[in-house]
Amino acid sequence: MDANMIISLHNVNFYYGPSRALNDISMDFPEKQVTALIGPSGCGKSTLLRLLNRMNDLIIGTRVEGKVLFEGKDIYDGHVDPVEIRRKIGMVFQKPNPFPKTIYNNIAYGPKLTGANAGDLDALVEQSLKQAVLWDEVKDVLNKSAMNLSGGQQQRLCIARALAMKPDVLLMDEPTSALDPISTAKIEELIEELKKNYTIIIVTHNMQQAARISDSTAFFYIGNLIEYNKTEKIFTNPDVKQTEDYITGRFG
Amino acid sequence: MEEKRHTSLHYEKELQEIKNSLIYLGALTEKAIQDAMKALSERNSEMANKIIKDDDDIDKLDTELEERCIRVLALRQPTAIDLRFITTAIKITGHLERIGDMAVNIAEKAIQLNQEPQLKPYIDLPRMTDLVTTMIKDSLDSFINNDLERAEKVRRMEEVIDDLNEQIFRELLTFMMEDSKSIHRALLIMQVSKNMERIADHTKGIADMVTYMITGENVRHQTREIS
Ligand SMILES: Nc1ncnc2c1ncn2[C@@H]1O[C@H](COP(=O)(O)OP(=O)(O)OP(=O)(O)O)[C@@H](O)[C@H]1O
Ligand SMILES: [Mg+2]
Repeated sequence: MDANMIISLHNVNFYYGPSRALNDISMDFPEKQVTALIGPSGCGKSTLLRLLNRMNDLIIGTRVEGKVLFEGKDIYDGHVDPVEIRRKIGMVFQKPNPFPKTIYNNIAYGPKLTGANAGDLDALVEQSLKQAVLWDEVKDVLNKSAMNLSGGQQQRLCIARALAMKPDVLLMDEPTSALDPISTAKIEELIEELKKNYTIIIVTHNMQQAARISDSTAFFYIGNLIEYNKTEKIFTNPDVKQTEDYITGRFG
Repeated sequence: MEEKRHTSLHYEKELQEIKNSLIYLGALTEKAIQDAMKALSERNSEMANKIIKDDDDIDKLDTELEERCIRVLALRQPTAIDLRFITTAIKITGHLERIGDMAVNIAEKAIQLNQEPQLKPYIDLPRMTDLVTTMIKDSLDSFINNDLERAEKVRRMEEVIDDLNEQIFRELLTFMMEDSKSIHRALLIMQVSKNMERIADHTKGIADMVTYMITGENVRHQTREIS
């Protein structure tokens, strides 16, 4: 792999109170590629994802060991501002969670907080919605509530909202599990488009989705990274038997 | 290595049924080739006609098997070993169907040959027949049992068949040179031998797919080292 590694984990352990959810994880995420995280429920995918932009800080009693480097710098260093990290490493969740505001303000809210000037906002809203392939559907109703959008549209709005912060990395936790097949296809198409400019790390329970959209796939099992490989390799001929048993749906 | 079973028992059953059908199809083609050789060596054209007729069953089973594999692809979206299994099964059924066609070709030549006096006793052709039927059996066994070594054995046997085929050619050439009246019969026998050789090619194709299925590595179209 010649790609630049934008995020690197070195021997990372993660604890919720006394219980360890991730064991000695070392892995690199290539820039401007899609990496899929797969594995059975409870194996630590969401934990790992949240660890990458310090979302886990918001859960009390958690603890990280090891190093999480973003562009070579440890994001858990004392003087690093977690808010700044979360701006650069945006997140999209399983259930679309628009703010109960207008479509326009859903996008403009974050940039306003971080001091974008009002004149630039219109352009930023338009650009973000276009990037999320939502603009044509909502350009005439920007001042209507976001809550009136369909689930698939809401999810693209959340992606637009994340993009408006001009992140480098997008973390997505099962972003299509609540969506119908057409909306899912739209999001997948969008991901393919976005990876030209962004690094995307996505958790999914849909094996076919991981196979379709990702360049690399990491398989986790009870807090351990079992196999991390090119997606094509994982889905045609994985190196580890456990991976094969999982993706082919054999008894655990 | 004993495979773990799928969580979905229906899926498990579908894969097992594909295996069973392939074994059955393999048995049909083996019998067709043996009978084609018998039709020739025992000068039994009735048997030859039956082979030609029964080839419909082989074709039908091939179509059925292919459809079953495609259904699994569409509905189960197999990955990894399962994906390699299904793609291998599709290829194998295609090879077996072609082997059935070769048996028909041989039966047709037998009918023609049986109308003329026998040119020579058949010695090498029955040997070839035994070898290629063993190759069919071995290639399918290697598939069913994930047996790399047996697949390799099939590839080695294919070279023996090539040699035999050449030997038969040379022998028949001498017949043709000595007596021009033998040319027609000699050419027909050459075609029988050529068909046997092509059957061996198909079993090698099966063996190569099995190797791919087990290892994930494509060994087709690799040229062998000449020693
Ligand atoms: N807030 C929390 N407090 C305590 N334990 C937690 C918390 N969140 C997750 N865990 C535990 O950490 C482990 C990993 O959970 P995580 O949510 O990362 O799994 P996951 O792979 O995302 O599963 P799923 O596919 O179900 O979303 C589990 O054992 C879980 O119970
Ligand atoms: Mg999760």
